[in-house]
Amino acid sequence: MVRFKHRYLLCELVSDDPRCRLSLDDRVLSSLVRDTIARVHGTFGAAACSIGFAVRYLNAYTGIVLLRCRKEFCQLVWSALPFITCLENKGHRYPCFFNTLHVGGTIRTCQKFLIQYNRRQLLILLQNCTDEGEREAIQKSVTRSCLLEEEEESGNG
Amino acid sequence: MPAPAATYERVVYKNPSEYHYMKVCLEFQDCGVGLNAAQFKQLLISAVKDLFGEVDAALPLDILTYEEKTLSAILRICSSGLVKLWSSLTLLGSYKGKKCAFRVMQVSPFLLALSGNSRELVLD
Repeated sequence: MVRFKHRYLLCELVSDDPRCRLSLDDRVLSSLVRDTIARVHGTFGAAACSIGFAVRYLNAYTGIVLLRCRKEFCQLVWSALPFITCLENKGHRYPCFFNTLHVGGTIRTCQKFLIQYNRRQLLILLQNCTDEGEREAIQKSVTRSCLLEEEEESGNG
Repeated sequence: MPAPAATYERVVYKNPSEYHYMKVCLEFQDCGVGLNAAQFKQLLISAVKDLFGEVDAALPLDILTYEEKTLSAILRICSSGLVKLWSSLTLLGSYKGKKCAFRVMQVSPFLLALSGNSRELVLD
């Protein structure tokens, strides 16, 4: 079958400054990634990667980003992500970096991975949290996610 | 009695040379422009950086010989970077605002082949 194949890169934006994630916008992010690819891979890289490039999902609270690119140029985009060192928005510069969590062929596989990843992150947060109120809130989310997991498994099986 | 089986070993070289050598000449539209070896190398690296970015501008490129009068040089590049170097030389249009062009005269994986060029042979 003849179709355009894509790769979806699931990344996490890690930064010390809490304002950095909140100022994330899909246009800001898209221009940042395109500029970095142009710097690292030149005019050829910029042109090749920008054909099928899109920011498909963006979560400002957790900093999760889903980028789409053509399958042939996935390596170019992936190798340019570590060169992103700071996010500039309205004159403020925030140092940050991108952590690639998963590369998938479809949005659905990336979503499945993200659900499992978030469950594991909740458990890690539960271990690390210090405040009692926070602890209760996280415990409630963990029990809710476990119930949903059981429902999913019984629905699939 | 059957004869003992002959054993032999066959060695196949797919790509015998890691490097490719290019003989190039830089031509300017106006005369009177001179470059020394360092400026020439800087021009080559900036050409590759424009087209292929910082990653490919860091390819190990060497200028083996350079003649300032004729602006010709012999370059050495690793084989994986040959296509990138050649295409960026093709697309280079100007140096400091002056129009110029690279003429590629010979390309070979062996340096010895660049010593004789039948195109430049003069028959008396």
